[in-house]
Amino acid sequence: MKFAINAAWLAGAVGLALWSLPAYAANDQLIAAAKAEGKVVWYTTMIVDQAVRPIVAAFEAAYPGIKVEFARGNSGDTALKVINEGQAGNRLGDVFDGTGTYASVKAAGMVAPYVPDSAANLAAEFKDPDGYWHAANIYYLTAAYNTDLVSAEDAPKTYEDLLDPKWKGQMAWAVTPEPTGAAGFVGNVLMSMGEEKGMAYLKKLAGQKITNMSSSQRTVLDRTILGESPIALMIFNHHVPISKEKGAPVEWMRMEPLVSSASLIGLVKNAPHPNAGKLLIDFILSNPGQQVIANASYLPSNPNVNVQYPELLPTGPKPFKANFMSPDVVEKNLAEWIDIVNTIFM
Amino acid sequence: MANSDTRFNSISTDTQMAQRKSRNPTLWMSALLGAILTILVLPAVAILIGRSVSITNPDASFGGFTLQHFARFLTTPDVLTSTYNSIVFATLSTVVALLFGGVQAWLVERSNMRLKSLAYLTTIISLGTPYILYVGAWLFLLGRAGPVNDVYRLLTGSRGVMIDVYSMSGMVLIEGFLWSPLVFLLLSSTFRVANADLEEAARMSGANIFQTIWAVSVKMAMPAILALALFVFIRAIEAFEVPAMVGMPGGVDVLTTDVYKSIKETIPPDLGYASAYSVVLLLVVGVLLYFYGRLAKNAGKYSSITGKSFRPRPFDLGSYRWIAEALVLFNFVLLLLLPLLALLWLALQPFMRAVRLSAFPAMSLDHFRVVFASEYYRELAMNTIVVGVVAATAAIILTFFVGWLSARRKPGGVLLDQLATAPLVFPGIVMGVAFLMVFLSIPLPIYGTIWALAITYTVRYLPYGLRYSYAGILQIHKELEEAAGVAGAGPLTMLRRIMAPLLSPALVSGWLFIFLIATKELAVAALLSGPNSQVVAVGMYDLWVNGQGGELAAFGLVWAAVMTCLAFLFYALTKNKA
Repeated sequence: MKFAINAAWLAGAVGLALWSLPAYAANDQLIAAAKAEGKVVWYTTMIVDQAVRPIVAAFEAAYPGIKVEFARGNSGDTALKVINEGQAGNRLGDVFDGTGTYASVKAAGMVAPYVPDSAANLAAEFKDPDGYWHAANIYYLTAAYNTDLVSAEDAPKTYEDLLDPKWKGQMAWAVTPEPTGAAGFVGNVLMSMGEEKGMAYLKKLAGQKITNMSSSQRTVLDRTILGESPIALMIFNHHVPISKEKGAPVEWMRMEPLVSSASLIGLVKNAPHPNAGKLLIDFILSNPGQQVIANASYLPSNPNVNVQYPELLPTGPKPFKANFMSPDVVEKNLAEWIDIVNTIFM
Repeated sequence: MANSDTRFNSISTDTQMAQRKSRNPTLWMSALLGAILTILVLPAVAILIGRSVSITNPDASFGGFTLQHFARFLTTPDVLTSTYNSIVFATLSTVVALLFGGVQAWLVERSNMRLKSLAYLTTIISLGTPYILYVGAWLFLLGRAGPVNDVYRLLTGSRGVMIDVYSMSGMVLIEGFLWSPLVFLLLSSTFRVANADLEEAARMSGANIFQTIWAVSVKMAMPAILALALFVFIRAIEAFEVPAMVGMPGGVDVLTTDVYKSIKETIPPDLGYASAYSVVLLLVVGVLLYFYGRLAKNAGKYSSITGKSFRPRPFDLGSYRWIAEALVLFNFVLLLLLPLLALLWLALQPFMRAVRLSAFPAMSLDHFRVVFASEYYRELAMNTIVVGVVAATAAIILTFFVGWLSARRKPGGVLLDQLATAPLVFPGIVMGVAFLMVFLSIPLPIYGTIWALAITYTVRYLPYGLRYSYAGILQIHKELEEAAGVAGAGPLTMLRRIMAPLLSPALVSGWLFIFLIATKELAVAALLSGPNSQVVAVGMYDLWVNGQGGELAAFGLVWAAVMTCLAFLFYALTKNKA
């Protein structure tokens, strides 16, 4: 496997240290213990055909004899599963991820700290000092439009543009309880416009009758591609090139500030397969694991890995501003944002 | 399999031992069945009521007594809106289902129209097809970008839509479509046994075709129609697929989606509120079922098979025949052909897109390739088949005994009958909530396994199994049992050697029916499925929610084809019996 190492990293001492690490950072003792467990159960929020299947295939190829079982859901589903199982004392899941999962699971006291070797690659903002979470991948969320139905000139460019009466009933978003759903949009508006102006804006926006989807952001974008809702809000920008490659009539917009969020991966406390779970986390954060994520057109958290579409990044060829929904911010505000969505928009 | 097998073995060995010890093995049988049914049914009700009056702690565990969950009904208008929506939705979709299914049933059974086999084909295939597939297909067909609105825009030049499917009217249409095949199936048996003499007498007395149909055919079938209407109404109140897939995106909430949302869209899940909601829903359905029971008693009031020679003659529609045929053809196109074509389109396209000539070259078999190559789909199918087989077998075995004890008025029979019928009051989603909490709170490692689903499905379909076995036993004369008794056989030998073989057509039909609906069930499984106990319906819902419509369509078509073969078998068996 080839690694394109960023020049800045190569120059630094840390980069040199990394270079000397083997492809799979995990130590033999962990691998042996994980193999004895034989499998790992991963509760994920990633889209199955785009990312989960390739990651599972790469992991199983790297560590033959350890099977990955997975179940996909949004952050809420995933947290619910972990919490339910923890309370029943009947744990099935070992590893969870998601943009909103960690906050709930941590509140229920069901996360075990673990610092994988591969976490050394991550920037400080993408890992917890105590090792409770690490960012598996980064998301940037914005609006997208169907290019058959909306021209590039007509497409709304700013948040104010969304209030144009011609978009009434033409927009959709996901109302899943996570910072990457409508709640994150609310948070972003409040953070960038301030409480008072932000709420006034949201009340006006509610008049636009946005279609509330209880499904993934992927289906919101699909709805736009199909032409059901010409405009999609709060979709992952990396989903757009994935669809465009297949010929879908869709384009994303740099509606600033974008929402940025990280999918946090963590180990379940008293997990049934703790070592295999640790190994999976280590693999996902490692260079090879992050490369699989990048090859799936997702945006890796590990800066050693080249992304497929650099323009998806705020630091890419066409820079954009984004508000990072850090785990702290999410933990403090998510419930309030969800409440605003439920009362104003539903 | 091991769990339930050993359980049933122990039932039979227990009862055999009981037979030796006791002079009255029937009493032991009643007691044992009573114990099993109580264990299966009661904890779910008890836990639901318990949790609905308990405080939910921040870490989602349960605390002391409270009425706050019920008090929330008084402070939020949501419950009223949802209840109103539920009633409107259920009423109108019942009307749609009765119109589509009922008219067709009468035409096929009583008239001399052609194309009758088309109506049966539509019904049988729909029996084998998961609801999610149908709902997905109709959403695509009726959606803003779907062919129906495309044609509308082409014809009118407007930019709007003829129908906004994500609305109450869309929900009503789709739910009505979903139920019309079952209405057809059930009403056609009613019309089949109606006495043609009365219709002929009306015609000879000078009534025209429509007068005859209205004043004689419909009036004779009225008790059966009313009972069926209430049945469909109850199922629509309990419905989950359509409200979740059509109503939630359209902002139309009903009672079942409120329950689902209070668990799935709130962090942490509000189990107390969901339980309170579920208790309300239980009460509503319980009251409705009470009335259904009263109506259903009269359902056969005017059926007129008597001892005298009886040969229903088809009703001559005369020059109106083509209208009837057009109607059946329309039904066939609407309920079968279009959804299947829509699914095929989605399965062959790399992403969900509107039907356009320009999209034809992009067709590929990629989604089918993934479906056949992926272990995930094989597991889904295997899990579903295991769960379906276990649940159908367990429910049929239990209800075979219960049906006999009840039909023959043995001690405890009435109580057992009521216990086995009780699960009817559980809407699927509520049953899911209740059993989720039961499995989480017992020390056995059942939660998250397919056994959780198998047990829950067994309970859910007890009433259906009972209906088949009870009706079958009533048709078998008691003198056969008495003869066995005189020859020295005990009740267990008699049941095994006499009743079970004689009853086997009814039991096999019941088994197939339960298997077919269990493999489609989403509402229960939506909350109970774990990572390695995914079943087809849940897998399909996940695919829908995750935006893998193409794979969903491809997998769905393959699965529906297999299930349709079973549905044909079911139909062939039940037809011979009637």
